[in-house]
Amino acid sequence: MQSSNADIVRRKRFDQIVGVFHQDMYRYAAWLCRDKAIAEDVVQESMLRAWKSLEALRDDTAAKPWLLTIVRRENARYFERKRLETVDIDNLTASQAALLAEQPDDDLRDMRAAIYELDDDYREPLVLQVMMGYSTNEIAEQMELKQGAVLTRLHRARAKLREVMQQQAAL
Amino acid sequence: MNCDDYKQAIGADPSFDGGAGHRSECQSCQEYRRDMQALDLTIGRALALDVPELVMPSLDDVDTGDVVTLKSRRPVAMKTWFSVAATVALAVFIGFRFGPGNISGNVSLADEILAHVTHEPAALQVSSQKVSDDHLNKVVPASIADMDHSAGLITFAETCPISGYDVPHLVIQGEHGPITIMLLPNEKISAAISLNDEKSHGVILPVGDGSIAIVGSRGEKLEDVQKKILQSVKWET
Repeated sequence: MQSSNADIVRRKRFDQIVGVFHQDMYRYAAWLCRDKAIAEDVVQESMLRAWKSLEALRDDTAAKPWLLTIVRRENARYFERKRLETVDIDNLTASQAALLAEQPDDDLRDMRAAIYELDDDYREPLVLQVMMGYSTNEIAEQMELKQGAVLTRLHRARAKLREVMQQQAAL
Repeated sequence: MNCDDYKQAIGADPSFDGGAGHRSECQSCQEYRRDMQALDLTIGRALALDVPELVMPSLDDVDTGDVVTLKSRRPVAMKTWFSVAATVALAVFIGFRFGPGNISGNVSLADEILAHVTHEPAALQVSSQKVSDDHLNKVVPASIADMDHSAGLITFAETCPISGYDVPHLVIQGEHGPITIMLLPNEKISAAISLNDEKSHGVILPVGDGSIAIVGSRGEKLEDVQKKILQSVKWET
């Protein structure tokens, strides 16, 4: 009975953590891999990993970076198994195109396409900062970079996006 | 600090607050800062992808041994993809109409909550007028939750009918607009349900024998509110 109660408590804890952060997990995965179907796979695998190692999470207030680190590793594992191919934005698969097709607003559609085309090295810190609310220190830790490198990548990412949006506006 | 340094810092983080002396004297840097902050708002909105409904993996087999690795998806041809999509759409339709009670009930609850938020004018108002503690305590009895303004400025608190029960409906002012919270001590759900429509997103979280629903504008970060509400509810303990 005690074991059963412990299982219920564990499951409840897991459901709550994942319930709160699954949107962040999905969006992070989707912007890492740029493919809806793969993102769903990565999130599913991340949840399995998280469930298995739930006891490693000592403090639930650290659940978000813990889960996002798992997502990052699962994404890397996915592409270790399947060689990452260069994405041509004019020739996307249905699942890749689905990521860009949701936004009815022209500006947002252009911005989403511009973010999609950013190099992985620039796109990931931007996602972590703008969407996940990470500080540059936290991004450096997550990506195993020096803070100076993170600052440079963020600056270049925004400069690129600004340039693309200005070109779009001029058309 | 010169213009290059300042623009580098703002480009890396548009909320950068240093260099105020240089900024106050440099119109170009003031303009650059405004541009970058506006750009960041658009980036934030563009990054907020629609999130599919949460599907929990089967966890029972994962307690021992290695973590199960899902099979990679096989690439599918466009024609096949459309066939699959049509089948899924049909299955979803059938599931909605004739599915088992639990699934159907959860879908209905999500729909009911989103519809209630959309059709409750007060829930969509931006306001700085907080409800009184007395009124808050009447709407949220101590047996349900210890509720105060620590989760955010509560500007609306009323009892509303959801799924046959009168439940507390609260509105907190978030960064991007009002955040709706519904305390559902009688709505037991087996797993979290994602809430999404064109303008809002949120979640219904299982909490003991009940649940809580939290809905905010797209781009609104709900985690802090969720944590505080989870800490305040009583029926779990």
